[in-house]
Amino acid sequence: MGILLTRDTIDNTAHDPARPQELITGGYDFTTLTDKVCGIVERPGAPRAWWVALGFMASLAAMMFAMIGYLIYKGVGVWGLNNPVGWGWAIVNFVFWVGIGHAGTLISAILYLLRQQWRTSINRFAEAMTIFAVVCAGIFPGIHVGRVWVVWWLFPLPNYQAMWPNFRSPLLWDVFAVGTYATVSLLFWYTGMVPDLATLRDRATTKVRKIAYGFFALGWRGSNRHWHRYEKAYLILAGLATPLVLSVHSVVSFDFATSQIPGWHTTIFPPYFVAGAIFSGFAMVMTCLIPAREWYGLKNIVTLYHLETMAKIILATGTMVGYAYATEFFIAWYGGNPAEQFAFINRAFGPYAWAYWIMVTCNVVSPQLFWFKKIRTSPAALLVICIFVNIGMWFERFVITVTSLSRDFLPAAWGYYRPTAIDILTFVGSFGLFFTLVLLFMRFLPMIAMAEVKTVMPQKHWEDKVSRPVGDYHGTNPEDR
Amino acid sequence: MSSMNQNGLDHNYWRSLQELADEPEFRQFLEGEFPEPAEVPTDAISRRRFLQVMGASVAMASLVGCRWPQETIVPFASRPEGTTPGTARRYATVMELAGAVSPLLVTSLDGRPIKVEGNPDHPLSRGACDLFAQAGLLELYDPDRSRHVLEREGGRPRRRSHGEGETAAAAAFAALRARRGAGLAVLTESTSSPTFAALRGRLRDELPEVAWYEYEPVSRDNERLGTGLAFGEARRVRVDVAAARVLACFDADLLQDHPTALRNARGFADGRRAEDGAMNRLYAVESELSLTGGMADHRVAMPSLEIPHALYGLAAELVLGRGLSLPPGYEAVLPALEHARAAGHAPAWTGALAGDLLAHRGESLIAVGPRQPDHVHVLAILLNEALGNTGRTVSYGPDDQRGLSHGAAIATLAVAMGKGQVESLVILGGNPVHDAPADLDFGGLLDKVAASWHLSLFVDETSQRCRWHLPRAHWLEAWHDVRDHDGRYAVAQPLIAPLYDGWTPAELLSLLLDGARRPAHDLVRATAAREPGAGDWEALLHRGFAEATPAESPAVLDGRGVVAAVRGGGLAKPPAIGSDNLELVFVRDPSLHDGRFANNAWLQELPDFMTKLAWDNAALFGVSTAAALGVVHGDVVELQLDGRRLEAAAYVLPGHAPWSVSLSLGHGRTAAGKVGDGTGFRAYALRTAAAPDAAAGLRVARTGRSHQLATTQDHHAIDAVGMREREKRSRSLVVSGTLAEYREHPEFASHRTHHPPLVSLWQERPREGHAWGMTVDLSTCIGCNACVVACQAENNIPVVGKDQVARGREMHWLRLDRYFQGDPDAPAVAHQPVACVHCELAPCEQVCPVGATMHSEDGLNVMAYNRCVGTRYCSNNCPYKVRRFNWFNFNSDIPDVRKLVYNPEVSLRARGVMEKCTYCVQRIEAAKIDAKNEGRPVRDGEVVTACQQTCPTQAIAFGDLNDPQSRVAKLTTGDRAYHLLAELNVKPRTAYLARLRNPNPELAESADGHPAH
Repeated sequence: MGILLTRDTIDNTAHDPARPQELITGGYDFTTLTDKVCGIVERPGAPRAWWVALGFMASLAAMMFAMIGYLIYKGVGVWGLNNPVGWGWAIVNFVFWVGIGHAGTLISAILYLLRQQWRTSINRFAEAMTIFAVVCAGIFPGIHVGRVWVVWWLFPLPNYQAMWPNFRSPLLWDVFAVGTYATVSLLFWYTGMVPDLATLRDRATTKVRKIAYGFFALGWRGSNRHWHRYEKAYLILAGLATPLVLSVHSVVSFDFATSQIPGWHTTIFPPYFVAGAIFSGFAMVMTCLIPAREWYGLKNIVTLYHLETMAKIILATGTMVGYAYATEFFIAWYGGNPAEQFAFINRAFGPYAWAYWIMVTCNVVSPQLFWFKKIRTSPAALLVICIFVNIGMWFERFVITVTSLSRDFLPAAWGYYRPTAIDILTFVGSFGLFFTLVLLFMRFLPMIAMAEVKTVMPQKHWEDKVSRPVGDYHGTNPEDR
Repeated sequence: MSSMNQNGLDHNYWRSLQELADEPEFRQFLEGEFPEPAEVPTDAISRRRFLQVMGASVAMASLVGCRWPQETIVPFASRPEGTTPGTARRYATVMELAGAVSPLLVTSLDGRPIKVEGNPDHPLSRGACDLFAQAGLLELYDPDRSRHVLEREGGRPRRRSHGEGETAAAAAFAALRARRGAGLAVLTESTSSPTFAALRGRLRDELPEVAWYEYEPVSRDNERLGTGLAFGEARRVRVDVAAARVLACFDADLLQDHPTALRNARGFADGRRAEDGAMNRLYAVESELSLTGGMADHRVAMPSLEIPHALYGLAAELVLGRGLSLPPGYEAVLPALEHARAAGHAPAWTGALAGDLLAHRGESLIAVGPRQPDHVHVLAILLNEALGNTGRTVSYGPDDQRGLSHGAAIATLAVAMGKGQVESLVILGGNPVHDAPADLDFGGLLDKVAASWHLSLFVDETSQRCRWHLPRAHWLEAWHDVRDHDGRYAVAQPLIAPLYDGWTPAELLSLLLDGARRPAHDLVRATAAREPGAGDWEALLHRGFAEATPAESPAVLDGRGVVAAVRGGGLAKPPAIGSDNLELVFVRDPSLHDGRFANNAWLQELPDFMTKLAWDNAALFGVSTAAALGVVHGDVVELQLDGRRLEAAAYVLPGHAPWSVSLSLGHGRTAAGKVGDGTGFRAYALRTAAAPDAAAGLRVARTGRSHQLATTQDHHAIDAVGMREREKRSRSLVVSGTLAEYREHPEFASHRTHHPPLVSLWQERPREGHAWGMTVDLSTCIGCNACVVACQAENNIPVVGKDQVARGREMHWLRLDRYFQGDPDAPAVAHQPVACVHCELAPCEQVCPVGATMHSEDGLNVMAYNRCVGTRYCSNNCPYKVRRFNWFNFNSDIPDVRKLVYNPEVSLRARGVMEKCTYCVQRIEAAKIDAKNEGRPVRDGEVVTACQQTCPTQAIAFGDLNDPQSRVAKLTTGDRAYHLLAELNVKPRTAYLARLRNPNPELAESADGHPAH
């Protein structure tokens, strides 16, 4: 990692209770910040590395679509599924990506409501990542069904035969939960981006950019009324999105929790899944942001303080997840249900024990290193551990989905699931799609929420460098300069 | 990969790589191959031909009870009187397999047979049917069947028309007749056909120089030889299992591998229902783990070659230890018994068995299997006589077969061929190139015969080395007659005109004798007219068999023969089987018989009851033997026997005898067809004329390679955690107890499945009308797999192939779960048929997002296939894992002729759709329609599911649970009934009746109800 990452020279992680936390370092003022962020988008040619990365990731994405095409042509049998294990990598990947899609809305909505100023530097990126993760997630339930061409039957569309979906099925709840979440997240992301799009529009030098950014800026002029409406809308959307952060993964967990397979049928799943989702979401934000801030020179905007704060959240949620793992075992023992007891013994010591211990190592053990400040403030260490967390969280979903199914009630019907090359390439390809979208986002959209960051910056005219009280943005309009 | 081993080319079904490439060389080759005007069918069977056949069949069908072979074709445009298109009709017929007879009732729809069931009126069947007859349907429609006469010229097959073949054969036969048959040998399968016997008699009289040989690779020769020694002439051993209270089976699989296996199973089951009275007790001594061994109350696993000691030991215990008096004049056998006792061949369990047998004189049975040598059969005959069983549980009927035993016959023929005495050879059925003893090199000898004819269903290994191949008529296409094990005469009537104009063996013999091929119908009818007791021809066809059995001469023991055989056998030096001298046992394949069914996909994919192995055979090792040899499941081992070598995959089977290796015959075919080629390992390569049953001196060498074995259970080598849990759980899933426990606590099953009080999540409304339900009696289910094939045939269940089975994607709606309990070297076998149990509170229904699976009015859990999206959530949530998913389009690429097998009452399932047991809803609806038409309620017993119908032991009951008088309602509320996974409160409609075992109190019991030896 040392090759890729350089040392951070500015450490703003020290906490002085007498002064507001310094969130933007490096002496940025509003102008230089705007120049910096817009400069990435406005640069005439993208860096060669960007092209290489995009080419690679887009090929992976293309491979995924090829795999999906093959799947639809041949049938679900091209995957490694079998009779006891009716759900395999597709569902694992779905839950994995949905989980990753949690961090953005959490950062945007919940932290906004809780007035966590530091969110401003990362929320745009995290929200974008949320949308892209939900896009990746949304692919899998669609293609994992046996007859893709009738998947629209899952939606309650009025039809002449009066056929209606079964509202008792958690899969249907999933459709609504994920659909709502994707819609609100997209709206939230877009709403928050409108002022920044207007900035890009105003700075645009070509016709195309003017029209494109102008179209999406919705005629934003930065008037007082605009700002007033904007803040209201943003607050309402934050209020709407907040319960969704908790609901979407709770509903996803119902797919498992309401069934009766030992290892699935547990009431702990909703909170456990939500904690895990936030855990994995933050890990993915870090995984993307650490290289991005390095390569785009955003270290003074996404500072060590931001990274450290996220590391603390990862530590907290990782510990919650570890607690949930322990609780599952305790309840399996305490509950006295032999089938459930076996399900957990089998997880830890059965044929999939390797997956279980990868999960425990990555999810429970590795974040505990974040107790050390030195590690919390080392971008390289953070990146490595966050990748571990991502791996661990994928394995968590694998362990839950596959080990429980492979050995349920009747031992004669037990089986063992092995993925095929198609499974693996489709999953790898979904990363291609995700990073393709991330790369396009970084190229064409402002990856830092400029308007929001400015609200937490010390005003440049204040020579004594004493931070202004927070939230007094409109005292001096940067455009009045 | 060459299509040249197939009879002809078939565009729909098979294209060789060259053909696909359409290379000029290939075209040239093709034209050279088939010089006639290219008449390559575009369909497996042309539409015109199908209509002809259908028309003919329907025309036949129209004349109830008298389906004459019509020489004129009636077009189907005018509906024959008395027929309703789309209405099934059923005809009685029989199938013969190696001389054993299955009486059948075949369902025919618009002229095509679609389902084979047992003839309920026939005492040998009573409605039950074995695997081979049921799967015969698929064989009939096998696209690989031979369609043309082939003549080999210069090593290449040339296609000839049937007329050319007949002309050529007639000319050759005329020349032979002129020489009174000199230089001609006839090799035929074993058959009980009186017509065939009459032709053979004529042949003997008219062409005395003809040499006649009969060969079956799997036969009951040893029994025939034994009875020959005991009675002075070969007799058929008839057993009456129903009359026996104590059964002692020595390597005898009475419940599966026996000419009257279906009746034996029924009799065994009838003596097994404790609530109806006493319960019989079954002892089994065997090397492999057979069905009979699995059902046994006490089972002793020992090498096959040592089983004679066990019977001598028992005899010693009976006669010397317990004072059983032998019939006068047999004292001379005592030295053999004393020798056995001195050699320690009478361990403790023989004492208990002997006591049991003595306590049940006249109602016990000692049975010896076909792999045991003749003297063991003689000893069993003697012991049964001494125990007063003769005439009660066992009797000896006349055997029509004369002449050499099969082993001797094929060896004699080989010698004659080797000496060049055979100039012409007519092979009627059979496949000696594949299945003759390896030391004879039959294929090599056959090449030396100048003129050879092979009448066969397929262009098989033998056809490929004969000058002429003639297509044979399938048994569903042919007139035939048989004499069953009890001596009853029966006639086989064809259900369909021969699809490919095949001939029967009798027709070919008539060509040989008379110079003209007489239709089999005329031949059979002439025999029936002579047959006493056959009665009216139409009535005979209607019933399927003659009720009267011919008078038989009594069997009289020949004292000298018995004494000589027993003394000789008992005093012979025993082979010592052990770590330095392994034995190899050749067993009949439960699915493929001797290999003739290798191209039958239903049978190939049928999981073996004990091993759960499909699409392969394997060398079976006992657990401790495998450990000692360092062999693990799936290893490729080299079996070395007398300098012959065979590589085979190893399968470690609990309960298999130590130092013994079993290998089933029939796999490893090279010219079986597209289905059967290359499956398994060719056991015949190690089988010699001298030791066709079991051979000592086997050496096992590991090759270090492994072979993927496709099993439908235990898909992978299981870990210790899983193994412990599996065994622990199996005891509450397959509830079993001893007769004594049952007598003390009749409701013990409900105690075993005890669970906390159940609370329902739903408001349950009482269900009115029908509530279909099922019970499965685990006490009488023997695990014969007949139900699995019946279900496959009835419900159009696709075959998925080895690769898919290995991935755990077999489609059988009904599976037999099998668990081993206790000591891995002497386990108890617990098993349980599991199909959809039609839960009242079905977990599958709750999770389907589109409502594709739901409850019907009468409480069935039904699937709406065309609403199914294929999320597989239902299958995940099914605690019984009985739902089957169409991972691919398993019904694509089916040749047209193969589609004729489909049951039109059951829809084919598309790709991406879930399916499962429907309780044969089509049969339920048919019964409801009948009842409604007649304005009455559906009667109990009127709805019979396919599995229930064919079950030889009547272990399955089906009916209306809302009718308290129905059989199924009474059984469900009976004391042995319990529900599988009742604690989940899904309220299954299928109930199981706990298995009862009846161990001998004298033999120590271990805690789990399993006998310790």
